[in-house]
Amino acid sequence: MAKIHAISDLEELREKIVDDRKQFEKTIILCGGTGCKASRAQAVIDAIENELAEQGMEKRVLMRTTGCHGFCEQGSLMVIEPGNIFYCHVLPEDIHEIITKTIREGEVVERLLYTDPVSGKVIQTEAEIPFYKAQDRYLLAQNRQIDPCSIEDYIAIGGYSSIGKTLSDISQKSVIREIENSGLRGRGGGGFPTGRKWAECREAPGDEKYVICNADEGDPGAYMDRCLLEGNPHLVLEGMMIGAWAIGAQQGYVYVRNEYPLAVKHIRVAVQQARELGLLGNNILGSSFSFDVSIARGGGAFVCGESTALMASLEGKVGEPRPKDVHTVLEGLWNKPTTLNNVETWANVPSIIQNGASWFGFKGVKGSKGTKILALTGHVKNTGLVEVEMGTPIKTVVFDIGGGAANGKPIKAVQTGGPSGGCLPADKFYLPVDFDSLAEAGSMVGSGGMVVMDESTCMVDVAKYFLKFLQDESCGKCVPCRLGIDRMLEIVTKISEGRGVSEEISLLEELGATVTQTALCGLGKTAANPVLSTLTYFRDEYEKHINEKKCPAGVCHELITYMIDSEKCTYCGLCKKACPHDAITGEKKDIHAIVLDQCRKCGICRSECKFDAIQVN
Amino acid sequence: MNQYVTISVDGMSIDVPKGLSVLDAALGHGICIPHLCRVPYISDIGACRLCIVEHVKNGRSKITTSCTLIAKEGMVILSNTEKIIKLRRNIAELLVTEAPNSRAVQDVAMRCGVKEVRYSFRNSDCILCGRCVRSCTGLFGEKAIGFVGRGKDRRVESPFEIKSQLCNECGRCIDLCPMTVVPCDGPMMPGEERLCGNCESKMSFAEEIPGFCIACDLGEGFQCERRLFLGP
Repeated sequence: MAKIHAISDLEELREKIVDDRKQFEKTIILCGGTGCKASRAQAVIDAIENELAEQGMEKRVLMRTTGCHGFCEQGSLMVIEPGNIFYCHVLPEDIHEIITKTIREGEVVERLLYTDPVSGKVIQTEAEIPFYKAQDRYLLAQNRQIDPCSIEDYIAIGGYSSIGKTLSDISQKSVIREIENSGLRGRGGGGFPTGRKWAECREAPGDEKYVICNADEGDPGAYMDRCLLEGNPHLVLEGMMIGAWAIGAQQGYVYVRNEYPLAVKHIRVAVQQARELGLLGNNILGSSFSFDVSIARGGGAFVCGESTALMASLEGKVGEPRPKDVHTVLEGLWNKPTTLNNVETWANVPSIIQNGASWFGFKGVKGSKGTKILALTGHVKNTGLVEVEMGTPIKTVVFDIGGGAANGKPIKAVQTGGPSGGCLPADKFYLPVDFDSLAEAGSMVGSGGMVVMDESTCMVDVAKYFLKFLQDESCGKCVPCRLGIDRMLEIVTKISEGRGVSEEISLLEELGATVTQTALCGLGKTAANPVLSTLTYFRDEYEKHINEKKCPAGVCHELITYMIDSEKCTYCGLCKKACPHDAITGEKKDIHAIVLDQCRKCGICRSECKFDAIQVN
Repeated sequence: MNQYVTISVDGMSIDVPKGLSVLDAALGHGICIPHLCRVPYISDIGACRLCIVEHVKNGRSKITTSCTLIAKEGMVILSNTEKIIKLRRNIAELLVTEAPNSRAVQDVAMRCGVKEVRYSFRNSDCILCGRCVRSCTGLFGEKAIGFVGRGKDRRVESPFEIKSQLCNECGRCIDLCPMTVVPCDGPMMPGEERLCGNCESKMSFAEEIPGFCIACDLGEGFQCERRLFLGP
C-alpha cells in the first residue's frame, strides 16, 4: 500500500476500502480473542475458510476474525450480518450447517442460538441478549467491527481520522484542554486526571519526552487491557499518537507482558502496518509531527505495572519502584518527562478528540466520566468483559448483566479492583461503579476486575488468597510491603487454621494501616485493602474463625469436618468410589460413614454426591 | 557559591544547601530522624521507611521518606507527630522481629519506641537494607553483589551465586552491614530472641525533647550519620 502523505490521501483510502467491501453480501464475524481461542475458535476459523472455498462463496461472504466480544464463557462466538444473528458455542462441526442454512438460505440454526439462563428464552440476535443489552459498549463494540490485524478495517470505521483532525486543526494546548474538560481519568487503577498529567508533562522542561502505554495487566481475573490490545491495537496507537503530539514526544513505548502472546503479536503487526502507511515515522500526514512506537515485552512481574518500576524495566534495570517525590511527568523514563497511561485510557482518547469533550463528559457521573470496562467473573450466570457507563450501580452489573447467582446460592460480596481493591458486601451493591464512591467504601475501581462471590466463599480465605498473591508479587524493596504483607498473611493463616486470638484483629488493622501509609509504591500502599475491607464488612466471619473455631462458608480446611447425612444418603457408593484417601466406609446398600482421621477434606465426595448427603460443619 | 533553601522542620526554620535531602538537612541541624538504610554519599532508595516524615503541602500532609525527599524552598516537614511516631514504631517492630540479633536493628527499635513485639521472632541474617549493594554498585562502581529474587525470596547475592571477579575484597559491604554487630549480651539463640532493651535508660532523658539528637550511642551499629557530623 502506498504511503499516506496528507489527510486527503487518508480520506481517499477510506472511501476506496469502503467501496471494495460493498461486494460482500454477508459478513461472518467470528471472535478470535484468547477466550474463544480456548474454545477452539481457530479450528472454527479454518473450517469456515474451507467451507467458503468449497462452496465457492469467498467473493460474496466476508469472514472477519475479530478481537474479544466480551461474552467469553459462550465461546466460540459468531455473529452474522446483516441480521445480527448470534451463535454461541460454535464448533467446527457446525460450520457446514451454518454456511448452508444461514448464509445461503437465510435460515437460523436454532440449536446454536443463545438461551438466556435467567428467563430461559431463546434469543436470536446479539442486540437482544440481556448481557449485552444492559451495557453501554463503546470501546468494546469496535472490537466486533474490525480485524485487529487489518489496518484497512480500522481505517474503514473512521480510524486515524482523530489524529488527522488533531494535526490539521487543533493546537497542542487545545488537545490537552479538550482532554482536561472531558474529565477522563486514568483507567489503570490510580484514577489520576489524564489531562492534568499531560499538561504537566507538556510544561516540563526538556525537548526529549516519552509516552508509554502500560499493558502490563496482572490482576487475577482481569483482562480488559488484553482484549483492547488484542482486539483494537490501532485505537491504542492512535491515542498514543494524539498524546505524543500534545505533550511533544517523538517516541512511544508499549510495555506489554509476554504472557499475552496475541496482544504482543497484534500490536507488533499494528505498528508495522502504521509504519508502512506512513502513520508512524517522520512527518506524519504531511505535518511536522514525527513519532514512532517500540514494543517492549514485560517478564510478568506484577510490580512492573507500577509506573516507576515499569520505566526501570524499560531501561533494562530491575523492575522495582522508586520513590515518586519527583513525578514521572518531570523525570520518568531515562529521567526525561514521560506520560504513562493505561491501555484503556489511551483507547478513550481518539473518540474524545473526534466527538468532543462534552460528548465524553455527558456519560458518567461527577468525577468519573465515560465508560469503564469491567472483567466480570465469579459466581454469576454470565461472565465476561462488560463495559458500563461510569456510575452504574454494582447491582446492575451483577444482576442485570451478570444474570445473578450462578449456583442458586445467594450472592454475598463482590471483589473489585483486583489485589489492590476490596470486597464489598451485598448491602453495598447500590454503590455506583465510579472512582470516588468505591474508594470511599474501602475498595476501588482499579483496573476493572470484578469477582462476584456467593455464600460458599469464605472471606478470610479470600483475604488469604490475595495476601498470598501480593506476597509472591511484592518486589521486596521496602519493609512495610515485604514484611508487613508477610506478617498479615501469617496472622490471617493462623486465623483460618483456628489458631487466631481476638487481639489479632486489631493488630491486623493497625498493620494494614501502617502498610497503607508507609509503603513505597502505589501497589504497596493498596496491598492491605483486601484485608482491611473484609475486616470492615465481614468482621463477624473473622470472629467466628477465632472465637468459635468455625468457618461459616465451610472452606477453611482446619475448621471443617465432612459428615454423611444418613437421612439423605441412599448408600449408592459413589462417594466411596470417588474418595482418593479411602476415608469412606460402608458397603453398597449399607450405611456410609467418613473416617475423620483419614479424611483430607478435599471435598471430592461432596461434589460426587447426587443427593446432597455430604454435609460440612 | 552554595545556594541555600529554607525549610521548616518541626516548626524550626533551617537553611540547607540546595540539593540536600530533608534527612541530611535535619541531621545536620541536630534533629534526630531515625534511619537505617541510609548510607552517606550514596543515593538513597527509601527501603527501610524508618525516616518517614509528614510533608505538609497545601494544607494536606503526605507521608514520605525524608532520605529521598530533596529540600525545596518553603517546605514544611513534621518529623515527630503522633502519627509518624506510631507508624515508625510499627515498622521498627517489623524489623526487630525479623532480625533480633543485630545491635543496629535493636537500637533503632529502641529509638523508635518499640516496647513490646506482637509477632514471633524470625532471626534472619539479612534485613535487605541494601547498604552493601549500594556501596558496591554506587560508591565503587563495581557490581560484585546485587539483589536476586523478589518479595520474600529477595536476597543479596553475587552474580550466578559464585564469587564475582569484580569483587576486590575491599570489605566495605561488611563495614556497612547492620547485621555484623550482635547485641551487647551476645547472640540470641533460636527461641531465646527478645527485645534487648539495655539502652532504655539512655533514652529516658530524650523523651523530654523528642526529635532532638542527644548524641546517643544507639546509632553506632549502623553508623548513624549524625555521629559523622559530631565526630567520634
